[in-house]
Amino acid sequence: MKANSKGVLTGTHNLSGNEAIIEGAFAAGCRFLGVYPISPSLEATDRFLQRSGEVDATFVQMEDEISALAAVLGASWTGKKSMSVTSGSGLSNMMEHIGLGIMLQTPCVIVNVQRTGPSLGIPNGVAQGDTMQARWGSHGDYETIVLTPNSPQECFDLTIKAFNFSERFRVPVLLLTDAYIAQKKTLVKIPPTKDLKLISRKLFKGAKNKYLPYKNDKNLVPPMVNVGDGYRFHVTGLTHDERGYPVMTSECQEACVRPLMEKITKYQDEIIEYEEVETDDADVVVISYGATSTVVSKAISLAKKDGIKVGSFRLITIWPFPEKRVRKLAQKIDAFVIPEINFGQIAFEIERCAAGNCNVFFVPILGGGLPTPEDICKSIIKASKEKKKIEKLIEL
Amino acid sequence: MKIHPLFSTFANAVKKAEIESDKICLVSDFLYQPKISEYLGFDLFHVTRGRSIPFATGMKLGNPKLKVVVFVGDLITLGGNHFMHASRRNMDIVVICVNNFLYPKINGKKSPTIKSAFSPYSVFERPVNIPHVARSSRAVYVARWTALHKKELTESMTRALGKSGFSVIEVISPGNCYFAGIPASPKENELIEFYHKNSEIKNDEDTKNVEITAEKKIIVGKFFEKKRPTYIDSYNERHSKVIGDKFKIYE
Repeated sequence: MKANSKGVLTGTHNLSGNEAIIEGAFAAGCRFLGVYPISPSLEATDRFLQRSGEVDATFVQMEDEISALAAVLGASWTGKKSMSVTSGSGLSNMMEHIGLGIMLQTPCVIVNVQRTGPSLGIPNGVAQGDTMQARWGSHGDYETIVLTPNSPQECFDLTIKAFNFSERFRVPVLLLTDAYIAQKKTLVKIPPTKDLKLISRKLFKGAKNKYLPYKNDKNLVPPMVNVGDGYRFHVTGLTHDERGYPVMTSECQEACVRPLMEKITKYQDEIIEYEEVETDDADVVVISYGATSTVVSKAISLAKKDGIKVGSFRLITIWPFPEKRVRKLAQKIDAFVIPEINFGQIAFEIERCAAGNCNVFFVPILGGGLPTPEDICKSIIKASKEKKKIEKLIEL
Repeated sequence: MKIHPLFSTFANAVKKAEIESDKICLVSDFLYQPKISEYLGFDLFHVTRGRSIPFATGMKLGNPKLKVVVFVGDLITLGGNHFMHASRRNMDIVVICVNNFLYPKINGKKSPTIKSAFSPYSVFERPVNIPHVARSSRAVYVARWTALHKKELTESMTRALGKSGFSVIEVISPGNCYFAGIPASPKENELIEFYHKNSEIKNDEDTKNVEITAEKKIIVGKFFEKKRPTYIDSYNERHSKVIGDKFKIYE
């Protein structure tokens, strides 16, 4: 798909993470935003509103996040790339429609600017407490794609990537940023239109009466049509057959739900992205993502002064989790150190992948601020000295 | 009765309103999807409980050329907020609410439009008067009929389909044969006639007075009609005023 030059603001701009996300969305061809305003995602909403007139995009402020995501799903079925921006309790509200988006296989992007919780928390407090909710929040079994940028530039790049994944796999894709990345301003380089690689959903090309809305192609993704084009189709959030009509049997549940997960797990190597620094000969590896990853390099340089061999592993895709790589790393190192702004979410996933092959040290912060490099450095030093197996990851 | 009278009424209304049937899109929610799309073959989206109106809102905004019709059973519980806001915005949607007063598929649990239902201690809450909620949140067309008022209902649906704006038609009828596709039982056949017999047509009646009670007859009729710019009209007007010639009219 060729990018629409109208939406692409080629050049270098001083943008916050929130603004960069909207620029990324316009560059990716997004033309619909359904939203209910919530701090700290407000700059994104404002940016979309300001630019919507120039790029012919539609904006609607709904009555709550539930309806905001419902509107996004509805708009997506008309052929528009659509997105929603939210935060904190807004994401909790959206859960039922993330499930619907997965069941109806509707491409869309949800940006979640994480703030502290539970409940209202600190509205502008940085946090990373939604990583597990992003994966497991809606009821039932499903696989999802979740990306975490750690700079405004990456906000731009990953938003385009999120739209590409959502269109390719027909899933709602989540972009998890946090109050820190979202409000930090740096220079963002926006490439020329011709350099952008965009993917659009595969449309059904056969005869109108031959269309089956959930007949998978060889990649396990069914081709889509736009509503109102005369295909006369039926889709439902109930367990359905190829025709999109409900069938209440366990066989149909298997046939309907299994491909929803397989379409992602089968191509996870193409989805998963991470960044490794000096992990080849490291004894301790610091695993981080999003806001925490911005202080890791300082912590590592502090630890290196003590002669410890430390490497850094930054998650860019959280879900699907880069399990293969983490398992491999666990076999050759002494310990993982995981700074997270929550009370243990990804840390448990890493402990699972470490499978007792190495120690896992967790540096928790309950939100509202970043961990200091000294805190992380202390854990690195402790991790390098600890020879015994650690029994418990978190002690209260 | 095997097929609910609403199916033929809706088909006739679409024919009369001269709308291209490819452009008609139905949205529904709740436990069972209406069989209407299976019989009549329109595009149908069966979404999460109570959320058909916001889903329809997104669809209408995504492609303003669509004629979006929301078929719902009970729209005032989970979807009550969405109902009022879509009405306030004047989204160009036709809402056809099939009110059967209770949820027959889950042991007849009480719905918010009922006076008495299966509940161990009976129902002591006041029911909702749907036309009045629609009227007070500024819907442009409000009517109520029973399913057997075929002529009047066809007329109402034709009018609502041809009109732009948020139109609400409440249809009093048992729901089993409509939503689950189960042929109506003799009892339901009796019920559908009972509603018809016990109704009284009062067009242009103030919606304040049309609450359904056990003592009075069900008041049916076309209660309200007005012209008001839709959300998309206002959107275009406002944006062209602020942005000027650069703004591409959204249609």
